[in-house]
Amino acid sequence: MRRTAALIAAALIATGAAAQQHAGLSPLAASPEELRNIQRHGPWPQPVPRDPSNRVSGKAEAIALGRALFFDPRLSPRADLSCASCHLPERTLTDGRERAQGGGPAKPRLDRNTPGLWNVAQGRWFGWDGGSDSLWSFTPRPILHPDEMGASPAHVARLLRDDANLACRYAQAFGRAVPPEADAETALVDAAKALAAYLETLVSGKSAFDEFREALARGDAAAAARYPADARRGLSLFAGKGLCSVCHFGPNFSNGEFHNIGMPHMVEPGRVDPGRHGGIRRVRADKYNRLGAYSDDATRTSGSRTLHLTENHGNYGQFKVPSLRNVALTAPYMHDGRLATLREVVRHYSELDIDRLHQDGDALLKPLRLSDAESEDLVAFLRTLTSRGFPDLNPVTGPCKPQGQR
Amino acid sequence: MKPKRRTAAGLALSALLAASPAAYAACDAGPGVLRGETSKVALAFRTTPPVIKVGELFSLRAEVCPQAGTRVSGLKVDASMPAHKHGMNYQPRVRQTGPGSYAATGLMFHMPGRWQFTFDVETPAGRERIHVDYTAE
Repeated sequence: MRRTAALIAAALIATGAAAQQHAGLSPLAASPEELRNIQRHGPWPQPVPRDPSNRVSGKAEAIALGRALFFDPRLSPRADLSCASCHLPERTLTDGRERAQGGGPAKPRLDRNTPGLWNVAQGRWFGWDGGSDSLWSFTPRPILHPDEMGASPAHVARLLRDDANLACRYAQAFGRAVPPEADAETALVDAAKALAAYLETLVSGKSAFDEFREALARGDAAAAARYPADARRGLSLFAGKGLCSVCHFGPNFSNGEFHNIGMPHMVEPGRVDPGRHGGIRRVRADKYNRLGAYSDDATRTSGSRTLHLTENHGNYGQFKVPSLRNVALTAPYMHDGRLATLREVVRHYSELDIDRLHQDGDALLKPLRLSDAESEDLVAFLRTLTSRGFPDLNPVTGPCKPQGQR
Repeated sequence: MKPKRRTAAGLALSALLAASPAAYAACDAGPGVLRGETSKVALAFRTTPPVIKVGELFSLRAEVCPQAGTRVSGLKVDASMPAHKHGMNYQPRVRQTGPGSYAATGLMFHMPGRWQFTFDVETPAGRERIHVDYTAE
């Protein structure tokens, strides 16, 4: 009811503002449908739901352990790679590379772009292919992969056990000592759950777009008018004829699913990245998935999506719809980082080669045929999704004090 | 939410209903009830939650009401976005909960816009297909 009233108020303002419209589109002029589409992208920030499959989700002691592990290169046996080596705090938790760089002497070029981690807990599938159904179950992948950290469960268990500070934090987070060597896998899973608890706290602040959206909702013409005119026109394209907001849906600008947008998916000659097709198989086979023995959700209810997944050949070449929040800070773009700038991304959609789409690709996708000015407006809009503030990413957590000690 | 458009078959069925109202009583329209029909069967269902949210799993309970002389042996449930030419990314599971009663879980609309439910009612004489439109906001 309140939402309806706000929309009506905004529409009334829009009607009045339209009369004063000068060169270009007034920041307040919008149809009721467009206003509804804009309001769908908020409010922001969204609450972070506790993950029922992770018993330490939201627990302060686990967050502290996860934070310590995130910045600790000893998680890799060669001590050359931490999570923060690729998810660089100074680069909006990405690395600026087309494709991620692995660890070890060879530093291999990996297959995919390093995604940003801000607001990562808003997703439902993790990894470009969605091969994991929870944040914690994704985490062992880079830890164990030989081209990345190359660790083993035993290595992670030893690190947790042998470092007094980590062992102390582990005990506080999980209420017991680090499991013995024979149960190293439990230690790995617990480390993953602590890392996930930390990652859940990575929530970026409001953006200029959020301020505009809120101004529209409360009918504040003066505040809404502060939104840049080019971004306002770009927003109209985004939520209107561009149909961008159909997939980049909701407060986090992603519907959390997978689409084929005509990106080449050859990793190298003779080798293809199957995208979601491989991700579905991976998540079904994943012993850490929400339906498996390591899930803390006794009812397995949170595994319903995994249970009901369906696979078809249209999944081939699909990749996850990324959030667009802070997108101006996370270049390059697409699953393999092949597009260097937002202008190139907009050009891709403007000149979309529908022959490159899978034959069963979304009929939704058609070349937008944007003018240069429209393309610039769309880029201007995307830049207004940059948060005005980010929480502190200081890796220092201080020494762990055993419980009962001051 | 948009109710199903009345079809010629539906209008014809209305005439039949006058002759055998009891057969369709369980499939009458009501608050929160979505409904579709062919000349041989009617189907009424409710979703949980009543308003389907984009990106969230939902379930439904359906009643199938056959015309006199028609026997129902099963029900399949699916949905698609006709304008986008794609279906759901999730496979619903349907179980019978009683004579003519079915429960489906694991449905999800992952995009806003017009979706179309497809119910395949299985009868010894073949499949009766019912479409019901729904606009997810």
